[in-house]
Amino acid sequence: MSNQSESPIIVTDLSFRYNSRSDLALNKVSFSVNPGEVLLIAGSSGCGKTTLMRCINGLIPNAYQGDVEGDITLFGQSVFDLEMSEISQTVGTILQDPERQILGTYVLNDVAFGLESLGMPRDQILSRVDQALDRMGILHLRDRETFGTSGGEKQKIALAGVLAMNPRILLLDEPLASLDPASAHEALQIFRQLADEGLTVMIVEHRVEDVLAIHPERVIYMDEGRITYAGDRNGLLQAVDYTRIKLPAEIVMDRARSDPPPKFEPILKQDPQHVDELVKFDHVHFRYDEELPFVLDDINFSINHGDVIAILGHNGSGKTTMVKHALGLLKPTRGEVYLEGKSTRSMTVAAAAKSVGYVFQSPSQMLFAPTVAEELAFGPTNLGMAKADIKNNIQWAIETVNLEEELDTPPLALSFGQQKRISIAAVLSMRSRILMMDEPTAGQDYWNYRTFMDAILQMPGFDAIAFITHDLDLALIYANRIVILYDGRIVADGPPEAVLADEERLIHCRILPTSLLSLNKLHLPATGSFYRAETLAHMIG
Amino acid sequence: MLISWRYKFRNSIMDRIDPRSRWIFSFAFLISATMVWSANFLFPLFIIALIWYAFGQTRWKETRRGWFLVSIMLFSMIVINTIITGGGAGGVVPPGGHVLWPNGFTVPVVNWHIYFGLTVERIWFALCQLMRLGGVSLIFVLIPYTMDPRAYGATFRGLAMPDSVAYTMELAFRFIPTLARDLSVTLDAQKARGYELEKVKGGIFKKIARIAPLLVPVTMNAIIASEDVANAMDLRCFGQAKRTWIYELNFHRWDHMLNAVSVLMLVGIILAVYVFKLGGFWVPEWFMQLFV
Repeated sequence: MSNQSESPIIVTDLSFRYNSRSDLALNKVSFSVNPGEVLLIAGSSGCGKTTLMRCINGLIPNAYQGDVEGDITLFGQSVFDLEMSEISQTVGTILQDPERQILGTYVLNDVAFGLESLGMPRDQILSRVDQALDRMGILHLRDRETFGTSGGEKQKIALAGVLAMNPRILLLDEPLASLDPASAHEALQIFRQLADEGLTVMIVEHRVEDVLAIHPERVIYMDEGRITYAGDRNGLLQAVDYTRIKLPAEIVMDRARSDPPPKFEPILKQDPQHVDELVKFDHVHFRYDEELPFVLDDINFSINHGDVIAILGHNGSGKTTMVKHALGLLKPTRGEVYLEGKSTRSMTVAAAAKSVGYVFQSPSQMLFAPTVAEELAFGPTNLGMAKADIKNNIQWAIETVNLEEELDTPPLALSFGQQKRISIAAVLSMRSRILMMDEPTAGQDYWNYRTFMDAILQMPGFDAIAFITHDLDLALIYANRIVILYDGRIVADGPPEAVLADEERLIHCRILPTSLLSLNKLHLPATGSFYRAETLAHMIG
Repeated sequence: MLISWRYKFRNSIMDRIDPRSRWIFSFAFLISATMVWSANFLFPLFIIALIWYAFGQTRWKETRRGWFLVSIMLFSMIVINTIITGGGAGGVVPPGGHVLWPNGFTVPVVNWHIYFGLTVERIWFALCQLMRLGGVSLIFVLIPYTMDPRAYGATFRGLAMPDSVAYTMELAFRFIPTLARDLSVTLDAQKARGYELEKVKGGIFKKIARIAPLLVPVTMNAIIASEDVANAMDLRCFGQAKRTWIYELNFHRWDHMLNAVSVLMLVGIILAVYVFKLGGFWVPEWFMQLFV
């Protein structure tokens, strides 16, 4: 296909309605992109970003049916006149979760998949695979199993698989969602480099501030299926509501001065005079199999009354494994974990669940009930709560995640972001004294996660909260204690101001300082603590 | 993400056999074993299966989960269906026979008198069935643990299946361990909400309703995962041209010999059964003497 002189992508008055929905997912969307440009598409969950990607890569109408109006041309040819195979050779797509895209059991096989499908000679395939792996800096992974690679490595493998097919357009659907900060930074540098080499790169991403760092030539902001801003990076910083997407901290601080100060008063407070130990890890070592290396290596750590702990660490550092031990889902290979003084070896997970509420990373692994109300009643019913208490807890939980109107909706019919919030509400309704959340903000837009994190932190009833996150700013704003894991060991544990002071250690642990951290450190002598940018705006003046 | 069975290269005899030859042998064995009921055939086949299994050099720890499932199947087919109910022996074991306890027997302590029509013929049949199903299990349980997952698709293609069928077979093979992993994750997620599988009690409908917290998420995830896989395949041009399989398979001299053995075994059994009318069920005299 191709007229080399044509624009890579021209979208003209594109509207789309899924067969299963009554409202338009895209409404008269028009834009174009030039070769060598990075286009950032931002917007809240459900604004139509992913649908737009599906229209460009041919999944609409081939895999998802609905009513399409308008047109998209790729190098001068309408995408609706092209076969999937023709589109796929021009447009490379990276899906939101690289795990959903990896097909091969070994890295070599996965990267070669597209070329095998095109029936290329074997020698040529192997040479193209090596080139793609080398370009991503992961040639050493060539003969490794894909299953055992880290999140960042999976992202690069998926990208290598696409690049091996020599696409001229690269579509990236939330490519940073599952990456630790350093891996996200590396991925963004690669995207920039690819654009500089002549590829057209289109990135859909919630982590707007991160993408702005690679200076996208164009930025589009979408809301309810429409483009509400199209222009350059600087224009976006002023045009969009700073509470809707995450902008650089200094911009937010500047703009927030004219607005009323945010109200946020966390309930949990540490009491250094009276340490009440709720969970204790005593020299915990853990490995999944005796032939495999230790995932946790001599963990000594306590969760105390009043703690709001953010657990940070690179992909594969052992964060989830550690948190699963607190609930007894995993038992230590060596050492002990005590929950309220009792070894988790001697209690069932169901018994532990009375004290510890644990929100899993993926909501689809737990949602099952016909309605959201029944889903939220499941945990408290298992714990033997009274009906009146269950009803009250459901109401409290659903209000916390801001989904009151969905009580009668089947949870599986909701969007991913909404499902995630329901999974949090399903654990909140158990009123466990200790709340643990595994990447609670993954796949959530900025406004939604800030709203429910604010609500959870200001709700009475918890003795301690711990959450795993890759978002340093989330830790900085909400936690009163930060724990950093590196290769299965705790390398830092203390108040945010102390733990985040050592930038060298952060970078070594693949955690990159953010603009909000820099701003807070700058003003720390005056503020004495870390705050969100909106609060700083009013404190500093 | 689809995962695969935990394969480990052991430098065993099995690792050196072309996977196509392994499948040819495995199917030849399966057909052969299912055609006969005579211990004269089943016993040698069972010994062959044991030797074949030993070629894999697997360890009990690796395969015990697989054997646990196989033992449930063997128990239900041999102990329940043959020994207790006698249903599995129908059509093979002639009616009548030598009843072991013609006057029934009394259970000590409780003093119950029970009439149980177990015959010597049914016991021998159960032994034959154990050799037959045990042999087939030995051959097939070995495959996921000793076959390189990279070879799945290329192997099925090498057995003359079309590209799409060969890749579907590969996906099907990888679906089982993926399902097991998903079930384990969902079980953990529901346990964390106070769910206890052991406490699932009540009638059949109540039991089904109580396991919905496991079945629904696992089923939904499987459906979503299949859509993801289909999309990922579409985005990388699957099915658009005659596929190149980068995993290279080459028959060696010993593979040709194994293929010949497989064909000979199958042809030999077919001739024995259809031409020489051998292989039917019979009880050896020495076994009969043990009971009568």
